[in-house]
Amino acid sequence: MATADTLAKPPAPALNWQTLAQGGKRRRSASQSTLLAFLVIVSLPIILPYFWMVVISFTARTGGISTDVLWTACAVIVPAVLLYSVIHASLPSPRLRLVAGAVLLAIACALLIALIGDRLHFDNYRFLWRANVVEEIRSKATAGGQFPSVWTAFRNSLVLALSQTVIIITVASLAGYYISRFAFRGREAFLQGMLVLHAFPAMTLIIPIFLILYWVGLLDTIVGVMLVLATIELPFYVFVMKGFFDSVPWDIEMSAMTDGATRRQAFRLVVLPQVRVGLIAVSVFAFIRAWEEYIFVRTFLIENKNWVMSLYLFWVADDIMGVDYGIVAAVSVFYVLPSLLLYVFCQKYLTQMTIGGIKG
Amino acid sequence: MARIELKNLRKDWGEAVAVTGLDLSIEDGAFVAVLGPSGCGKTTTLLLLAGIYSPSAGEIAFDGARVNDVEARDRNIGIVFQSYALYPNMNVLQNVMFPLRFKHVEPAEAERRAREIAALVRIDPLLERRPSQLSGGQQQRVALARALVKQPHLLLLDEPLSNLDASLRLSMRTEIRRIQRELGVTTILVTHDQIEATTMADRIVVMNAGRIEQEGTAEDLYERPETLFVASFIGSPPINLFDGHAEGGAIKIHQGTMALATPVNGPVVLGIRPESLTVNGSGMSARIVAVEPMGREVLYTAESALGIIRFLEAGPDARHAEDDNIALSFSSDDGLLFDKTSGRRLDARVAA
Repeated sequence: MATADTLAKPPAPALNWQTLAQGGKRRRSASQSTLLAFLVIVSLPIILPYFWMVVISFTARTGGISTDVLWTACAVIVPAVLLYSVIHASLPSPRLRLVAGAVLLAIACALLIALIGDRLHFDNYRFLWRANVVEEIRSKATAGGQFPSVWTAFRNSLVLALSQTVIIITVASLAGYYISRFAFRGREAFLQGMLVLHAFPAMTLIIPIFLILYWVGLLDTIVGVMLVLATIELPFYVFVMKGFFDSVPWDIEMSAMTDGATRRQAFRLVVLPQVRVGLIAVSVFAFIRAWEEYIFVRTFLIENKNWVMSLYLFWVADDIMGVDYGIVAAVSVFYVLPSLLLYVFCQKYLTQMTIGGIKG
Repeated sequence: MARIELKNLRKDWGEAVAVTGLDLSIEDGAFVAVLGPSGCGKTTTLLLLAGIYSPSAGEIAFDGARVNDVEARDRNIGIVFQSYALYPNMNVLQNVMFPLRFKHVEPAEAERRAREIAALVRIDPLLERRPSQLSGGQQQRVALARALVKQPHLLLLDEPLSNLDASLRLSMRTEIRRIQRELGVTTILVTHDQIEATTMADRIVVMNAGRIEQEGTAEDLYERPETLFVASFIGSPPINLFDGHAEGGAIKIHQGTMALATPVNGPVVLGIRPESLTVNGSGMSARIVAVEPMGREVLYTAESALGIIRFLEAGPDARHAEDDNIALSFSSDDGLLFDKTSGRRLDARVAA
């Protein structure tokens, strides 16, 4: 009987909610700090080279390269980041965190200026206003006028990337809509064909494409590269846009049409606004893809007036790597800046592309 | 406002027939419900009327004029979808004004009309909100306002209440009915819920497997179902159905036999509504196996010579218990006989 009693009614443990709550809080902040530390450590190999590039571009002088500025900077920044993660984990109120973070940032900045302030300079960025920097450095080894102004390359890159974006967004949204909404003979085959095309390594086509461009007279033109890139990239973006259109309910379109809209008006006024996120994501990716393109432009663009940024960087590095790292790093920073800014501002749309849907 | 006629309407998708042989005429200003189980072709009928689908054969006429080839946007039809289909990128006022922008109404006049209709469906305090900030019932009202603002010839409602909770459904039912009366707009309601159909509509069209089974008032359908399908689909709890075989003025059902007032032969089905059965001293004997109090009435399940039979008794309290032996009887008018093969109702009566 006694055993039955104990089974039915275990002795009530003295529950102390406060201790439990504290334990829960402690565990939560511990796991958060661990996660933060882990993310910092795995991102180091990615961040460090970029950081180094920036440091070099602002400190290096013609000649060899020294790493002491990098290590000094790291010696200030790494403890500051670690300290902040400790602060973040231990301070509960967001306001206190903000204040502590600001103080920490001020101290770090002051330390950086005190330790390496006198080494900072902008000389490496002189390529922005002087076209013949490379020739000046290697006067004997290069013929004058080999390099165009960096702004020519920048403009070419911009033209290529923007036109790429416009072509892809127009074709991908119209094609994606059509494939999503209309049944037509060979639709399945078309979809499969697009997937195969996407999986196919376009690099293998480089010789035939070179010859075709030569024959049609588009070799060494931005338009030629634009058409090639758009053709190769489109299948993927059509697929992405189809996914976005698939998630727009039919009802809304039917409703617009009974409300008096034509199919085209329904598309423009009702459907397109709902795939806005997709349009933004696809534009950003198309832009960045064209901005960073190297192989095709390297093969199809020859004259220096047609150089894009990646070619400019390549030739700068080719000519003065080992002589002046500072300028190579500065050109790299200048080259990477637009993509970086785009990523920063469109981040929230880009993460939604992989989900491929719209939120209700 | 218009008189709607469907003549031998048919729609098929390749091999599959969605609706066939649809003949229906709806008076100007009437409120008609199309009732049927899912997949019976009722939504197809609705979309045919709206002009989203074009019929494979037959004719749709508004006020006597054939509109088969008139595009959806020119038919001037208001439609409320089950999902409401509000435009998420516009606020409520823009949603309601949307149909007017294609009718070349002056913006000021469009806004005046939108506000007027918004007041009618009682969404005037919500005009600046986005659809995602509205509750289901409010979205429903916005969809209704948008459908009504263009002064449609015909208002189509596709399961408009099925996404609402029970109490809201009740009030929206009255609300839609009130607005329909006030505006006098010809309305077709598509639903699978018989309560919705019977409470809101003047006439009900019961559809099954792409065909019209029966058309009439709620009373017609309930008391004089023409087919077995209508008898079993209408009524809750459902009608008792017994398979039997009629021969020489009597039907054999399970272990029982019943006399027929008019002789028929062949397989038949006898239907008796649970509320037509009364417990009294005489009649067929049965033993109660389950008692289910439902609030205003009690539902009993009993075993009889005919098989399992359900009946209702008014009042909140159960007067019989499980295992009670009782005698059940019904009036001969309430015994509905159907031909088992064709599913049609027979004129014959049982002599109860």
